[in-house]
Amino acid sequence: MMAVLTPPTESEGRNEPPPLKKPPRKIGRWVLFGAMIVVAVVMLYPFFVMGVTSLKSESQFLSGGGFSWLSWSSLTSVIPVGQEVLSSTIVCSSSILIILCVGLPAGFAFSKLRFRMSTVVFLVIVSAMMVPLQAILMPEFVNVTKLGLTGGYTGAILVYAALGTPFSVFLFTTYFRGVPDELIEAGIVDGLGYFGALWRLVLPIAVPAIATVTVLQFIQIWDDLLVGLLFIQNTSDRPITVGLAVLAAGRTTSIPELMAGSIISALPAMLVYLGFQRYLVKGLTMGIDR
Amino acid sequence: MAEITFDGVTKIFGDDIRAVDELSLHVADGEFMVLVGPSGCGKTTALRMLAGLEDITAGSLSIGGTVVNNVLPKDRDVAMVFQNYALYPHMTVAQNMGFALKIRGQSKGEVAKKVGEAAAILRLTDYLDRRPKALSGGQRQRVAMGRAIVRSPQAFLMDEPLSNLDAQLRVEMRLEIARIQRLLGVATVYVTHDQIEAMTMGDRVAVMRGGKLQQCDTPQDLYDHPKNDFVAGFMGSPPMNLLRANLESADAGVALVLGAQRLAIPSSYATSHHLPRVDGPGVVFGVRPEDVEVRDVSSADSLTTRVERREALGAEILVHLSLVDAEGDNAIVVNDSGAVVARPTMLVAKMGPRSGVSVGDHLQVRLNPEHFHFFDADSGLSLRRGA
Amino acid sequence: MSTTVTTPAAPAFAPKVRRMTLKRRRQFAGVVFALPAIALVVCFIGIPIGQAVYYSFTQWNGATSTWIGPSTWTQAFHNTNLWTALRNNGLLLLSVPFALALPLGIAVLLHQRVAGWRIFRSIYFLPTAISWVVLGLVAERFFAYQGTLNSIIHALGFSHVSTNMLGYQSEALIALGITFIFTMIGTNTMLFLTGLATLDPSLEEAARIDGAGRWRIFRSITLPHLSRFVQLAFVMTVIALFSALFSLIFVMTGGGPGYATTTMEFLIYETGFNQGDFGTAALYGLILFVITGIVGVVQLRLIGSNE
Repeated sequence: MMAVLTPPTESEGRNEPPPLKKPPRKIGRWVLFGAMIVVAVVMLYPFFVMGVTSLKSESQFLSGGGFSWLSWSSLTSVIPVGQEVLSSTIVCSSSILIILCVGLPAGFAFSKLRFRMSTVVFLVIVSAMMVPLQAILMPEFVNVTKLGLTGGYTGAILVYAALGTPFSVFLFTTYFRGVPDELIEAGIVDGLGYFGALWRLVLPIAVPAIATVTVLQFIQIWDDLLVGLLFIQNTSDRPITVGLAVLAAGRTTSIPELMAGSIISALPAMLVYLGFQRYLVKGLTMGIDR
Repeated sequence: MAEITFDGVTKIFGDDIRAVDELSLHVADGEFMVLVGPSGCGKTTALRMLAGLEDITAGSLSIGGTVVNNVLPKDRDVAMVFQNYALYPHMTVAQNMGFALKIRGQSKGEVAKKVGEAAAILRLTDYLDRRPKALSGGQRQRVAMGRAIVRSPQAFLMDEPLSNLDAQLRVEMRLEIARIQRLLGVATVYVTHDQIEAMTMGDRVAVMRGGKLQQCDTPQDLYDHPKNDFVAGFMGSPPMNLLRANLESADAGVALVLGAQRLAIPSSYATSHHLPRVDGPGVVFGVRPEDVEVRDVSSADSLTTRVERREALGAEILVHLSLVDAEGDNAIVVNDSGAVVARPTMLVAKMGPRSGVSVGDHLQVRLNPEHFHFFDADSGLSLRRGA
Repeated sequence: MSTTVTTPAAPAFAPKVRRMTLKRRRQFAGVVFALPAIALVVCFIGIPIGQAVYYSFTQWNGATSTWIGPSTWTQAFHNTNLWTALRNNGLLLLSVPFALALPLGIAVLLHQRVAGWRIFRSIYFLPTAISWVVLGLVAERFFAYQGTLNSIIHALGFSHVSTNMLGYQSEALIALGITFIFTMIGTNTMLFLTGLATLDPSLEEAARIDGAGRWRIFRSITLPHLSRFVQLAFVMTVIALFSALFSLIFVMTGGGPGYATTTMEFLIYETGFNQGDFGTAALYGLILFVITGIVGVVQLRLIGSNE
């Protein structure tokens, strides 16, 4: 039996859609605000402690009250603060320089210049991100010592660079994957070789990624203890974080001095973070979106 | 001499994907050649092989008489305009345009002069110091063209440059590009999926499908004498009506069987075309919408149709007509479970803008017998003798 | 105004024909550009792994090594210190859920975009910039016998109660755990916040129109979207537990009392550099490597099955 399709009649009236939620009431907003303040207080607690404690002298600290700049001035006689900060700076900048110089071209290669087995190699490098230093600490230490690089900065710089490279490669590769292939191809047709493309096209547009890697690695390296402790044997070349830890382990140190030293140690990384904040958010998003 | 010759050029990706299959094509110096076809037809791959961005699997490609299969892009002296413009974001318009010249070591003065000339042609002089992100889509497109023009290359290669522009801008830029190309007289290979661009801009148009070249002719020749049903249906908008039909004997020769109706085919077609046997596999019959004339009264050569849909485009009205069956009815036939069992034969016709037609009207149409097309039912090739 | 275009007389077109195609050039450049990174990773990470495997079977003091064989492994597993360390790591793993849940809550809080949230976000991330050494020192002050925690307890009136968190094993572990959670809040919050920001608001709106309540939306739309981020945070947190924790231990407890708060990463340091037993330390290092490797692989499996 064949039936002829008739066009549909006017649809019956539907029910009204449920009312949309009202925006949070004023009181709700204040509760949230209050909660954020509470969290902020907790998170800022370390700074508060460091600040307050460092502004006492030893005796004031032990007795409970008082205010003094004494600990700050005596700090320099306990550890060579300026020297150690300089050491940290040298180690950080050198390591980061290597990490960038090695990671950026590699990121370009893995994202745009596919070669045989490049995916496998990429995965191997990225999985190296998850190897904790302690797992390879002993052979690493012995190797670097045998190369004669454990006196001054060189050994530590190389180790930091190697540890930071997988992350740097990962970030640059992900970032460059978001760059259209056509951009590079336009350069090729215009007459560039691949090295020219790297130098003139890729490098200028990689600035946000460079900033992200720099910030994250700076914090990582500046704040690191283990490598600096073991791979820089000369006490005169010691970075500030190591100096601080050694001071703390001494147990004869005055706590206020320790806190003053902590502030000095923490300050540069904090400043770098605050200065490069926006790149950080961008950078984290990049790695995830894939 | 910057003529371009594809000779049996083939591109195979992986083990078995033939993106371009034995393409043989010649572009004369100064000619504007359009490669057109649906997505995946190989036109972009062919262009990229011409640019040197893809390797050639087989066949030979020559520019200016020299085989360039193993010549790097930078040595081929071709300039390319990309679909997404690919402008260097960290450089100004002037720097973008002058880049290729700069890396070839030309003096700053020379570069500035050439950039200035190109900017004048493209009306970009006021924007020379801007960065791409401060430009509109149309301006960016012009910068992309400017980058190609300054190089005075042997050939221009353009990969769907107008796809990302809005409709109005597209019309403007079509004229611009055609004008500039005529002005500069450089051989141009232009890839697009839009057959209107192909028709309006090309000196000659190469239609591609599935990696193979279907036909290469002037736009009008493609339109009037398509070599197969694909080209017939692809060129022209709205597309040609293509109907599969059997043939049967009629008084003056043969007639097409269209459902319950018959369409007599003038005897001249028997001589000009290789029409198949009457009891054979049938034929693909083609007639363009503008050749479907709506009449007031029926005549011996008219067909009875019913209006199923009308689209008012302002300058004209397109009506979708169904050929009625014996009862004068043509409803889509549905069985008890709601599945469609049979559909009527449909024709699209163009009518004047003020024709008052409504869905459901019965119209008489006469198909203009001077412009019938016949294609083989299996291969789709045109049955015209000497085609 | 028309411009005359000066096209120079076309020179004879004679391009250089090279034997190298573009593809080969590209591949060559790719290899060259990636080589330094590969070299660095292989030399300083890959090779040491192999060496660790070798040396784990030896008696090694850093200078000379004598091959012993698989018995080093069986001996190692008889060593109570190893089991103590593993147990400590295991116990500390209990802090991971908190290290994930708290930041999640904070991220949701920030995501409400109440006025000034950006400032709060900066503040919450600030401790991340601080070294774990420093955080450990502050924590030490907090948990010590004469420290802040006791002062608070006394101030609240419980003057007879005193904790000596760092003096006793179980309490010390709790102190370490709490400090660890604190240190991870910054990074994980940032991670989750990023995740929330990438969530398409129209999904949430569609759900609201469909009649879903706030909690329902959170469970059925927000959380599934965040699963990728939660997985990443989980991996990062666990790895930090097995590596970065070192600094906290070094500064807060020195691994003590005895070996009570020693974890794997600290044990390796202690065995190698305090005892001079490089071989066993290398062995422990391998165990650590296997553990983190398993975590990573399990994660990959989970991610793979989701997509």
